[in-house]
Amino acid sequence: MSANLSGVRHTRGFDLVKPLSITVIIAVMLPLVLLPLASIFIFGTSSGLDKFWAALMAPEAIFALKLSIVTSFWATVFNVFFGLFAAYVLSKYNFWGRNALIVTISLPTAIPTAVAGFALLLLWGPYGTLGRLLEPQGIQIMFTAAAIILANIFVTFPLAFGVIKPVFDTMSSSLEEAAATIGATRWQTFWHVTLPSLRGAIVGGALLTFARSVGEFGSTILVSGNLASRTQTAPLYIFAKFNEGQVEAANAIAIVLALLSFMIFSILFFARDWLEAD
Amino acid sequence: MASSTPTSEPAVIVQNVSKRFGQTTVLDDINFEVAESEIVVLLGSSGSGKTTILRIVAGLEAPDNGSVILHGREVTQIPARLRGTGVIFQAYALFPKMNVEDNIGFGLRIRGKGRKEIREKVDELLQLVHLEDHRRKMPSQLSGGQQQRVAIARALAYSPEVLLFDEPFGALDAQIRSVLRHEIRNLLKTIRVPSVFITHDQEEALELGDRIAVLNAGRLEQIGTPYEIYNKPLTEHVANFLGSANLLSGSIRDGQFAFGDSLLEIDDVESLSDGQAATLVVRPEDVFLRKPENLTQNYQRLAVAQVVEISFAGAFERVQVRLEQSPNKNIMITRPKTETAAFPLAVGREVTVGLVRFRLLPAGKTGE
Repeated sequence: MSANLSGVRHTRGFDLVKPLSITVIIAVMLPLVLLPLASIFIFGTSSGLDKFWAALMAPEAIFALKLSIVTSFWATVFNVFFGLFAAYVLSKYNFWGRNALIVTISLPTAIPTAVAGFALLLLWGPYGTLGRLLEPQGIQIMFTAAAIILANIFVTFPLAFGVIKPVFDTMSSSLEEAAATIGATRWQTFWHVTLPSLRGAIVGGALLTFARSVGEFGSTILVSGNLASRTQTAPLYIFAKFNEGQVEAANAIAIVLALLSFMIFSILFFARDWLEAD
Repeated sequence: MASSTPTSEPAVIVQNVSKRFGQTTVLDDINFEVAESEIVVLLGSSGSGKTTILRIVAGLEAPDNGSVILHGREVTQIPARLRGTGVIFQAYALFPKMNVEDNIGFGLRIRGKGRKEIREKVDELLQLVHLEDHRRKMPSQLSGGQQQRVAIARALAYSPEVLLFDEPFGALDAQIRSVLRHEIRNLLKTIRVPSVFITHDQEEALELGDRIAVLNAGRLEQIGTPYEIYNKPLTEHVANFLGSANLLSGSIRDGQFAFGDSLLEIDDVESLSDGQAATLVVRPEDVFLRKPENLTQNYQRLAVAQVVEISFAGAFERVQVRLEQSPNKNIMITRPKTETAAFPLAVGREVTVGLVRFRLLPAGKTGE
């Protein structure tokens, strides 16, 4: 009997395992991922699109979204440039302590975001190690947009580096040697030969960093001060409105953030192949 | 296309070049020249140092001693990008994100040439390497042979001092190799750019080289035309590496080569003195097997032997015989069809071994 079944499975016939295993995957994902996501949209639009639109257009909500996007943008710009530079140096040169440096760059992913925010406070806060020296000069970093950018940089620090470095590692050194024998300077080689091969990794690393920054909560809530229309980012806005019982307001922004991540991951999924194609 | 020099000065001079990596001597006092529009093949097994020589000429590696001179200009201290050599890497190293045209025009673009000039040069080169129809393709869309031609065109664009080929056929299968070899030899003879090829393949060396330089463990053992290298090897290594050879140890006696109880007449005695130990080198195709009574004056009698193995190798037959006077030494013979028809052999048969042509090397000059 069992011999008979396995015979069927490996030739033509109806393979029961295939639809069954797919059903299992969806059944597991339904309560864990799919339904929670769906309920944002169902709940958010249940009392009508007018209400949703009004909640979205509230000045505080718009400010929170803008602040999130702007701070994430600058954190992304910084981390992509730094990641590119660090990946280049660390794959090109071998030196004592190189691995230690690589581990250190990657470390922030392993640190809880609340700890990251707390650490930033201890350094830059009014009584912090460096903040104490800056305060008399009238410079305050914590509880400003700059603090949000710092927190975003910290928690997304290794993401772009992690995507770009492997591409550098697999790049054949004979490409650079070929460019050199043809007469290219180091900069020309980087610009015309190395960089084009990194397009996909750079875009991918940037999108990952941005997506992670926009959603950052744990470190931001500690360093920003969470002041509405001043230092309140979109995730903080959701949290604040929910605490105030304004579920529709929280929900409207949640929908926007969810759509933004769908968009980013669609780009990651479809555009990278295109960017990496030869 | 190479920068022309009015004199007959060599295009490339490699002078007393030595290189060590840690404790290992990779190159030991290498000297050779490449004349204008000449093709020199550096032939050696892996680890013989041939790649290092190429990299030193290109400026990708610095020698510990010695110098590299390109068209009269001492370039030993000059970085690769200012030397103007054209390197064809083993995997071609085409820039993957540039199409064929942009790859070929790269050298001119970074030299700040105008758009029109680049376009004309690229057109001319595409025609030269027969890739006009592929100008917009990316390297990944080309076959190995096409990629190689792009690599050559890319180097030719900026009129290189010398073309350096790093085992350019290594990644291709045998049939394509021989077609490409032919193509490249014709191309190089058309454009007349001095070239250095490195390879471990003797057939490739014989077919491509105007001259062949045989390397062994970091030393240049012999440089000469394929004919000289094949017919007048200076060391046992050269004799063995290029083609196959039978080596027999004997000594010089009364101006003759004594091997067991046979004496062979030798033409060139000046380098060898009486009583000196010597090695006889003979190619398998220069050995003839005869019935004992049939050995004519054309052949020098070496010894009596017994056939131990016969194998069919297509165009010819390969025979191993065991010499009566040195039973642990087999001699290999290749016999063309005319021979096999005139005198069929069977294993166990007794024959007389005659030689038409051979070389003597002073023993000790083994090269290894």
